Amino acid sequence: MRSRLLLSVARCLWTRRTIGPARRYVSCGTPQLEELFARGGPLRTYLERQAGSESQLQFRGAELVAVAKLLSEKEQELQETEHLLHDENEDLRKLAENEITSCQKEIAQLKHQIILLLVPSEETDESDLILEVTAGVGGQEAMLFTAEMFDMYQQYAAFKRWHFETLEYFPSEIGGLRHASASIGGSEAYKHMKFEGGVHRVQRVPKTEKQGRIHTSTMTVAILPQPTEINLVINPKDLRIDTKRASGAGGQHVNTTDSAVRIVHLPTGVVSECQQERSQLKNREMAMKKLRAKLYSMRLEEETSKRYSARKIQISKQLFAPFSMEILVTMSFSEKTNCSKLNLKGKESPGMFA
Amino acid sequence: MECWGRMLRAFLSGPGRRGATWGSAYSSWQPHRPVPGLLNATELVSHWTAIFEKEGIPEAQESSEYIVAHVLGAKTFQSLRPVLWTQPLTPWQLQCIQELSSCRLQRMPVQYILGEWDFQGLSLKMAPPVFIPRPETEELVEWVLEEVAPRPHAVGAQGGPLILEVGCGSGAISLSLLNQLPQSRVIAVDKGEASICLTRENAQRLRLQDRIWIVPLDVTSEGSWAHLLSWGPMDLVVSNPPYVFHQDMEQLAPEILSYEDPAALDGGEKGMDIITHILALAPRLLKDSGSIFLEVDPRHPELVGGWLQSRPDLSLHLVAVRKDFCGRPRFLHIRRSGPQRGCPVHAWPGPQPARVPG
Repeated sequence: MRSRLLLSVARCLWTRRTIGPARRYVSCGTPQLEELFARGGPLRTYLERQAGSESQLQFRGAELVAVAKLLSEKEQELQETEHLLHDENEDLRKLAENEITSCQKEIAQLKHQIILLLVPSEETDESDLILEVTAGVGGQEAMLFTAEMFDMYQQYAAFKRWHFETLEYFPSEIGGLRHASASIGGSEAYKHMKFEGGVHRVQRVPKTEKQGRIHTSTMTVAILPQPTEINLVINPKDLRIDTKRASGAGGQHVNTTDSAVRIVHLPTGVVSECQQERSQLKNREMAMKKLRAKLYSMRLEEETSKRYSARKIQISKQLFAPFSMEILVTMSFSEKTNCSKLNLKGKESPGMFA
Repeated sequence: MECWGRMLRAFLSGPGRRGATWGSAYSSWQPHRPVPGLLNATELVSHWTAIFEKEGIPEAQESSEYIVAHVLGAKTFQSLRPVLWTQPLTPWQLQCIQELSSCRLQRMPVQYILGEWDFQGLSLKMAPPVFIPRPETEELVEWVLEEVAPRPHAVGAQGGPLILEVGCGSGAISLSLLNQLPQSRVIAVDKGEASICLTRENAQRLRLQDRIWIVPLDVTSEGSWAHLLSWGPMDLVVSNPPYVFHQDMEQLAPEILSYEDPAALDGGEKGMDIITHILALAPRLLKDSGSIFLEVDPRHPELVGGWLQSRPDLSLHLVAVRKDFCGRPRFLHIRRSGPQRGCPVHAWPGPQPARVPG
């Protein structure tokens, strides 16, 4: 029932842009919007039930109730102002007209807001995320492209006032980038970034090109949601933490500055490393962050592949080691785009290019 | 070490130069490299790594990476802005790297060469011979935070735990606790004057000087603890005391023996000298069920347990032993049980001491 509602909502929102100024005093928006919010209809009933409900509201339920309340207040206001349209005083009539126009605009906006709040968000939308970029096909040019993309994401994060922390950076000789990863955090970071994952392609004359020919190069972006402590519990016993301090008495007996840390998750074999910081504790925290993100994305993939059919976009990481990544790319396309096979390093899997 | 800091600051703010000024400065510069050429950061790291390895300097690559990164204004080589890896360095920068690297050839610890190091997210100034904080000690602070943070503390009007650190060194433990427990106050004591000065300086750098009292004190000398009483009963005593067994001292690396204060390391025959003094002192200063957190040698948990049993008069018992990230039993949590003994009531609350000047 709700999905039908949402389907008509989708059609409403995405085939038509925002409504223009009201033409008639009675309606506040497009016929579809009106139909959706008709009195006694399913949407109204649902909103009233939410408002009256004492029980635990769903995610963003509280926001929904607040906006619904605002909407009914505005509609009330509109009704009351409409009486003034038939007043004898012309000035009063003009005032009422203006009042009504702005009221109707607000009502339409509130209705749109309600619709957006109804769309269920993914569990991960509020998460922070880990961004991983890797140069693909195209040699030095691909690495230069990767560096530009990473820089772009960094500046985008700054623009959105997200926290951006580079976890690793493996450059190439001429200023390009082989592989890098960063932790991005902030309001709805994952929600905005989640569709960036996949293979990106550039066609241009590379800096390295002497004859002015156009080349095609690629780079891949992987977005891994960073789970909260609740979503993913890792048993410390399942971890092996490797550091350079392991041998000898340690403590006061030794003064080392090599603070690189590598964590191996024994049950799955997933490895994560960090040597960005001077403090070993910080390196460990970062390595744990990356490990959690990888494990979480593995788990999410398992879950989504159970839920959906084989036709979907999927990037999966096998073993993480710098400079040699096995990336499995399966792509499914709608009828509109061309299906092209991008296989960086093969691992057979059923239904890969269905 | 002050001169390094000034020199580095001078060239880091100067413009980059290339080419012409190379001549004479260069020919006498590097006896190890026959062919001069424009060098970038990556090449320089390889160059010095090779030299360090040849001279038997441990952690050759890490040392040269830290030195080059520091001269270029970053904490680690990995975190340098990538464009700097391939840019040629200025003669100033090369000279500084040369000088810092020759310190390394003298086996000076990297932390003293750079004049700073990180601890629990803070950047602290380092200066010989003050003891350099070890990574394990970060875990000691983590443990204290875990135990302390969830429990509300109220000391008179101030609130927040009152912590005593014995042997503060550079102030690492005290300042990281102050930083992460905004309501806490710390009394930091050390018998070394250099430590007192360095802790004071680090406290001011981090703007934590309002909540720390830094007191020159030798806990092994008789009656020294008496004037600590005026601060009132404490919630916690925390320490990374000298715990190296005396017979192990001569096996320590030259970096440690030649540059760090041996008094910060040598714990006597069984490494227990300072530890036992702290434990004997603590019950007089701690509140009821106050805690002591110590970092020790992996052989100490048993020794300390046994010693505490031989001293029931102290009303201390070993609550927990925690392992460091290498799996060695490294940290002790000891708790005081029973009422305060031997302290006249009118001593608390004492007059609040004036802020340490300077």
